Amino acid sequence: MRHQTSNPQESSKLNPGLALLALVGFLVLALPVLALLTRVPWSSFFEIAISESVLLALEVSVATSIVSAVISVFLGVPLAWYLARGPQARTRWIRPIVIAPLVMPPTVSGIALLTLMGRNGMFGKYIYEATGFSMPFTTAAVVVSGIFVGMPFLVLVLESAFRQTPIEVEEAAATLGAPPVKVFWRISLPLAKSGLIAGAVLAWARALGEFGATLMFAGSLPGVTRTMPMAVYSAMESDQGSAFVVSAILLAVAILVVFFLRSNLIKTFAR
Amino acid sequence: MALTASVLTLTSCSASTDNATQSLAPSADTEIVVLAAASLTQTFTEISSNFELANPGVKVTISFAGSATLAEQIKQGAPADVFASASSSAMLSVAYEIPNPKNFARNRVVIAYPSANPKNIVTSQDLNNKDLIWIQCDHQVPCGAAADKALAVDGVTAQPKSLEPDVNSVLNKLIAGEVDAAIVYLTDVFANSNLTSLEFKDKVSAATSYSIGTSSAASPAAQAFAAYVLSKSGQDVLIAAGFDAPPD
Repeated sequence: MRHQTSNPQESSKLNPGLALLALVGFLVLALPVLALLTRVPWSSFFEIAISESVLLALEVSVATSIVSAVISVFLGVPLAWYLARGPQARTRWIRPIVIAPLVMPPTVSGIALLTLMGRNGMFGKYIYEATGFSMPFTTAAVVVSGIFVGMPFLVLVLESAFRQTPIEVEEAAATLGAPPVKVFWRISLPLAKSGLIAGAVLAWARALGEFGATLMFAGSLPGVTRTMPMAVYSAMESDQGSAFVVSAILLAVAILVVFFLRSNLIKTFAR
Repeated sequence: MALTASVLTLTSCSASTDNATQSLAPSADTEIVVLAAASLTQTFTEISSNFELANPGVKVTISFAGSATLAEQIKQGAPADVFASASSSAMLSVAYEIPNPKNFARNRVVIAYPSANPKNIVTSQDLNNKDLIWIQCDHQVPCGAAADKALAVDGVTAQPKSLEPDVNSVLNKLIAGEVDAAIVYLTDVFANSNLTSLEFKDKVSAATSYSIGTSSAASPAAQAFAAYVLSKSGQDVLIAAGFDAPPD
């Protein structure tokens, strides 16, 4: 019984120096979160959480992040598939471009989106001239920012998940007469299911937390483009109670996502 | 990040103590940290380099942001020797930390648009036109508070497309051509030759008063900087940029 809960890789000789550094590392990550929790006005939490400004931001955030995640899945699954199974001569060049937004500073992402889709942007200019529509300051711009920063997560995780399936399995199905589309839907995608779920949740969480690119590309207007992270920023200066309440909600979501991902990521990579 | 940067500069300053440089400055080889309203970006950059020239050994580090953000940082204990706020309300909110502020300039918000005026903006009423895209600062930022008052007096009922966190963010979107008009400071229009402005009817409600103060623990160098901004050398820079002299 005792051995069931112990880690089989646990070492009996932990270097005290390393353990101390590990503790410092843990505190660097844990203390800010703890400090945040001490400032949340718990007694009026519910009252603030259902106030108009918080609800508006919640509505915008939930709606845009879900739409971003769905579109990221719709476009990211084929892209991850192509990167996993496509010709290496091409995927070598495509992969870094796909993953770059993951490590790009958000303000750079914002400028990039404006340069493409803004009213004076490369594409945006022609769309505006033809239809009078300009994407900045619309809810659509929040969704696009979410896709831009979120989809790379999905592609990264899902490509690895696709690669976990030995190519021989897919080739065997093809030899037995299954057309490539059927192989994809019946073999490859079901086997990569954990990776798909983990990737979709990461893409969604990243879109939910997006701030810098959205502020630059979409602006910040309650009920239209002001998401929860932007509401935190704005309220920090005027209405700290709601800033801390919204922060606590976002923190709770982050913790739930991490617990959910733990099992799914382990399933993906420890098969 | 700002904190780390200033700590690093502090360390490097004390490490390279230059005994050869003797200065009349109150304390040589000191660094002062100035938090200044975003609308002061150009003028305070110029004033601080003039001040550094006049006071060898003093290094001025300025952090520009919306006054409300800066006031919040000061309340949270950010290391600030000098605070220059774009509104008296932001300054008042840190009355404990910055006990003796003085007015040093006035500014007012205007409706700014590209000089070519492609949307043919003639009066403030044009902002009520649904096809006109315009933005302003968020309500709690001084430029937003002044905009709210001035727009109400002028009877503008249409809503802006965005409430930006500071005036530079508003200005960037106007210069990038993403909006047709924006409520920014007169001094911002002065500094951008491609922009033209339209005044609000009520210049009093559009106005904002800038104040500067030092922290209670401020060094003589920090006090000298605040005095420099109020002196003729500082005022000349501000007036050349389109600011008005302080009241009284």
